Order: sequence, then C-alpha cells, then structure tokens
Amino acid sequence: MIFVVVAAAIAVTMALALARAILGPSHYDRILAVNMFGTKTVLLLAVMAFMMGRPDFLDLALAYALINFIGILAVLEFFRDKAPKVERPKDV
Amino acid sequence: MTEIFSVFLLILLVITAGAAIRTTNLFVAVMLMGIFSLLIAINFFLLDAADVALTEAAVGAGISTVLFLGALAFMNEQEREQAPKRLAGLISVSITALIIAYATFDKPAFGDPNAPAHQDLAPWFLETTQSAVDIPNVITAILGSFRGYDTLGEVFVVLTAAIGVLFLLDTPSAGNMLKRDEGLRHYLIPRMVGRLLIPFILLFGLYIQFHGEYGPGGGFQAGALVAASMILYALLEGQDRALEVLPQRVLTFLMAFGALLFGGVGVIGILNGANFLDYSVLSSDPVAGQQIGIILIEAGVGFTVTGVLLSIFHAFVARGRTQ
Repeated sequence: MIFVVVAAAIAVTMALALARAILGPSHYDRILAVNMFGTKTVLLLAVMAFMMGRPDFLDLALAYALINFIGILAVLEFFRDKAPKVERPKDV
Repeated sequence: MTEIFSVFLLILLVITAGAAIRTTNLFVAVMLMGIFSLLIAINFFLLDAADVALTEAAVGAGISTVLFLGALAFMNEQEREQAPKRLAGLISVSITALIIAYATFDKPAFGDPNAPAHQDLAPWFLETTQSAVDIPNVITAILGSFRGYDTLGEVFVVLTAAIGVLFLLDTPSAGNMLKRDEGLRHYLIPRMVGRLLIPFILLFGLYIQFHGEYGPGGGFQAGALVAASMILYALLEGQDRALEVLPQRVLTFLMAFGALLFGGVGVIGILNGANFLDYSVLSSDPVAGQQIGIILIEAGVGFTVTGVLLSIFHAFVARGRTQ
C-alpha cells in the first residue's frame, strides 16, 4: 500500500515537472524540468519494481541514474558553445 | 493497480508528444523528446518488457539527446514558419485514426491469455528454452538463438545506417579541426563528478553484457552504455582526448568486427554440418554449444553498437567544429 501512495505522489510530481517543461518560459526552466523528470523516473521505476514484486528490475533504475547526467552535460555544453552565436529567443 | 499508472503515464505521453510537435523551437522539442523517451520507457517497464525498457533507457535518455544536440549545433534553433495547410492534414489524420481505432475492436483484450500471440509460438519458446538453451531469460534465448536471423539482420541494419551517416558526415581527422576541443575541462564540478561516474557506467555496461542470460540486458544495451561512458568522457575532456583513447580506426574496426563475429559464428555452424546460426554444434554438448553461441553473438552485437554509436557521435561533433 505504501508503495502505491509513494508512486502516486511521484506521478503527480512528474506531471508538474512536465508542465514546467512545456510552459517554460526560459530554456533553463526546461533543462531543470527534464533533469527533474529523469530523477523522478528513476524513483518511480524503483518503487514500481518493488510494487510489482520484481526487485531485479532495479537494474533499469540504475541505468537511468547513470545515464541521466550525460544528457544534461550535453545540454550545458551545447549552450556554452551555442549561446553567443544564436540570437536569444524572445521569451528568455 | 499498475494499469492506472500506465494510463496516467500514457496521457502524459500524449501531452508531451503534442507539445513537441507544436513548438517551433527545436531545442524545446529536443528537451520534450527526452521526457517522451523517459515516459515510454516506464510504460515498457510496466508492461513487463524490461529488455526493451533498458534499451530505451540506454539509447533514448542519454545518447539520442546528445546526438540531437549535436545536429542542432549546426542548425538554426528556430523552425521556419510554414504555410498553413492544416485542414487537409487534419482530415486525413482523423480518417486514419478512426480506421485504426475501428481495427482495434477486433483485437483481443489487454492481457487476454487466449490471444493468438500467446497460443502459437510463445508456449513453445517457454518450454524449449529450458531444455535446449538452459538460461533463465527466455528473451535472450529467443533473441540470440531461436530468432538469430532477425538479430543478425538488425546488426547489419545498424552497421549500414552507420556507414550511411559516415558517408554524409566526414569522419573526424586531426587535420581539419579549427582548434583543440577543450570540452568542459575548466568546469571543476562536472568534471569531478563525471570522472567518478565513468568507471561505474563501464562496469554496469559489462554487467549488462554478461548478465543478459539471467536478467534484462544483452549486447545492444551494453554497447549503448559503453558508448555512453565514452561520450561522457568526450564531453568532459574534449573530443581530441576521447579520440586519443579510442581512435576512429579502432571504432571502424569494432563496427565491422562485431558484425563479422556474428556472421562468423553462423558460418562455423555450417562448416560443422548444421544450419546457419545453429550453435548446438559449437561444443560436444548441444546446450553448452547454445550458450557459447549466445555469448559470442552478444559480444558481436555489443562491439558493433559501441562502434556505431561512437562513430556517429564523433562525426556530429567534428562537423560542428569544422564549420
């Protein structure tokens, strides 16, 4: 039961993070939202693995935890290289 | 209970997809595609398809975001305004959607044990895996042995795609770079955290490679994870350092060698008087032969996927640097 409550709370948090990613307005809001969404995914996978009685599926959550960082680093490097060349979007 | 979560996440998935289509800023679309990939992976997981979810985790979350950004680096971020031809599109999409929705009424209900998919080959796979291959993960047995032809085809498709990409984008060579790529070397915190992370990603990749017979995983996922660890190194230390560690000619060799290893294992079967990709003859004991065969072809898949993903990544980064 406790797993269901936790999973529901995480799912609501994911919805909120998604709202921030869609609404923006600045790019940094979106980067943060995606990063947070990734973290919540790791948590939800872990909780779901216990809820379904398959704790060996934790491998998946582990894979996400390791991989998530790479995407965010790539985004930051992209901004460092790109920022001076491109005119800034109006909404930043 | 999981159905409720599944439906909730699928609704989020549709919202994300709609937002990714509607936005005119390509960077926003890339970010939303990252979320899309995370959502679809949880859905795969909730449907008990852990192997597929792991592939999506390794490829979708990390590498495709990096590749999208690599492509975006030499494009304009803002989409061009398009002439609105929305009505005709809306009508044709609506009609197709209605036809597809109508067709789903004939499909068996979700989780129906009497569905044709569960009646035909699935029981045979479940029974035969135990006696013929003797590994706990039936998916690996199907992928590697029973449906070895399909997997061989996939490996060659991946190889062909990489050859195509490398024809379009030049492979990186030291001569045509404008300046040395420093990566994030001057940023202390990401560099330190990343350095700590790289060995663990590599270790996890090896675990996925060799544990594929027992849990979710295999050559595709492991290859993507190993490639991800090298991509992380390239992001932190710059492309030049990464190419010194694993030069492009090694990557090209890995690409071809993996596919050759897979095909070679199949040819050994023919030479020993069995069918192509029949591993039973690789050892005096047919079950041990099957296991050796699966380990070898999974290694081949891992080599090819690592080589392909890293080559494409380097090609994109190099293109961004020469322009």
